[in-house]
Amino acid sequence: MSKLSSVKRSIITAACIGLCVVLPMAFHAIPNAGTLFSPMHIPVLLAGLICGWSFGLLCGLAGPLLSALITGMPPLAYLPSMLVELAAYGLVCGLMFELVRTEKLYADLYISLVVALLAGRIVAGIAKALLFSAGSYSLAAWTTSYFVLTWPAIVIQLALVPAIVAALMKAKLIPERYPAAA
Amino acid sequence: MRSLPTGQYIPGHSFLHRLDARAKILCLFILMAAVIGAASLWGYALVLVAIALLVLLSRLPLRSAVAPVRGVYWFLLVIFLMNTLFFGGEDVLASWGIFQIAPAGIKQGFRVVGNVVLILILGNLLTMTTLPTQVTTALASLIKPLKFIGVPTEDVALIISIALHFIPTFMEETELIKMAQIARGARFESRKLSERAASFIPLVVPVFISAFRRADALALAMEARGYRNAKNRTKREKAPLVAGDYCALMVCALICLVQIFLRP
Repeated sequence: MSKLSSVKRSIITAACIGLCVVLPMAFHAIPNAGTLFSPMHIPVLLAGLICGWSFGLLCGLAGPLLSALITGMPPLAYLPSMLVELAAYGLVCGLMFELVRTEKLYADLYISLVVALLAGRIVAGIAKALLFSAGSYSLAAWTTSYFVLTWPAIVIQLALVPAIVAALMKAKLIPERYPAAA
Repeated sequence: MRSLPTGQYIPGHSFLHRLDARAKILCLFILMAAVIGAASLWGYALVLVAIALLVLLSRLPLRSAVAPVRGVYWFLLVIFLMNTLFFGGEDVLASWGIFQIAPAGIKQGFRVVGNVVLILILGNLLTMTTLPTQVTTALASLIKPLKFIGVPTEDVALIISIALHFIPTFMEETELIKMAQIARGARFESRKLSERAASFIPLVVPVFISAFRRADALALAMEARGYRNAKNRTKREKAPLVAGDYCALMVCALICLVQIFLRP
């Protein structure tokens, strides 16, 4: 990943932010797709994995903010908790992918993703309990909103994100992580 | 998908349209704080009057101004019920298993729903009276102080501005890919979760590959033209805030201040 230039990292992050706005709109027509598939999470996770933690963090903050300001999705009332959640996804995903090196691309990807998905949910839950819904937020509400209702999103993210990274590497749009093994 | 959902910019010449986007974003945050800080009936009456005045000043049709609220009726009902049934409190009116209905819970339910509705309308007013490009420029200008803690604000502004330019292209491509997948038998509207999930994958992967191809081409073109960083770029327009912008900020700050005194 170190071969990506700073300009290319910036442009890929811009593309991911753009997709944070476009994907929820594309799935607007599909009933309940926002909650079920969380389409905005995928570009943020990809930005963290491909461009690094700082760009992932930026994508996690700018993506939902821009989407809320342009399309009204997510509504401003839910924006703060979503900003915290997505920023944590981008940040942790990027950090983990930089730190974890098992010499196996998919193992690196899955470890980074699982840790990021858990960390994002925990951070968002803490933020809701302490700041955004202080006094009216419970463990049951957290489990329901971040795991029970969104399990299809978790499955799709775990299936799709590594596949997209591998496809991008195969298409030579991003550098190989382990070129010798390829 | 060709038309943006609620919150799309509606051209106009009203006072709100003419206000500087930086002032509007700051006013939005101040008024959001006023809404969240409202703790009495008078406090809510104050923000309600302020928002009603803003709707009048925007000269937008009332229907458009409150459009985002219409789309989330069910969600509002769910959050009202969650707060009412789980909040608890003294003087329980009725209880059933883990559910309890108490005056404090009902009050909390109304409070949360009221906050959501008012913030939705405020956000909608900003996006309906401000061009997306103005929003980006304003955001870039507002984050400038972060430079002092080492945040490359020029690069952030450039990334956001490129993201904004990518959006229409991605929308068009996503629509094309969606049509192509429908022609191939994808069932986006299916009632079955598995079919809906299966239709999601063939749409998302090509959209990402296509977006990354565009990003790759743009990065290559920028590097070939010698682009290195955004630090030394200059802007064509440098519009300072005018008296009207300062007035709006002061009125919003005053509302926020009064809200503190209205707290019981």
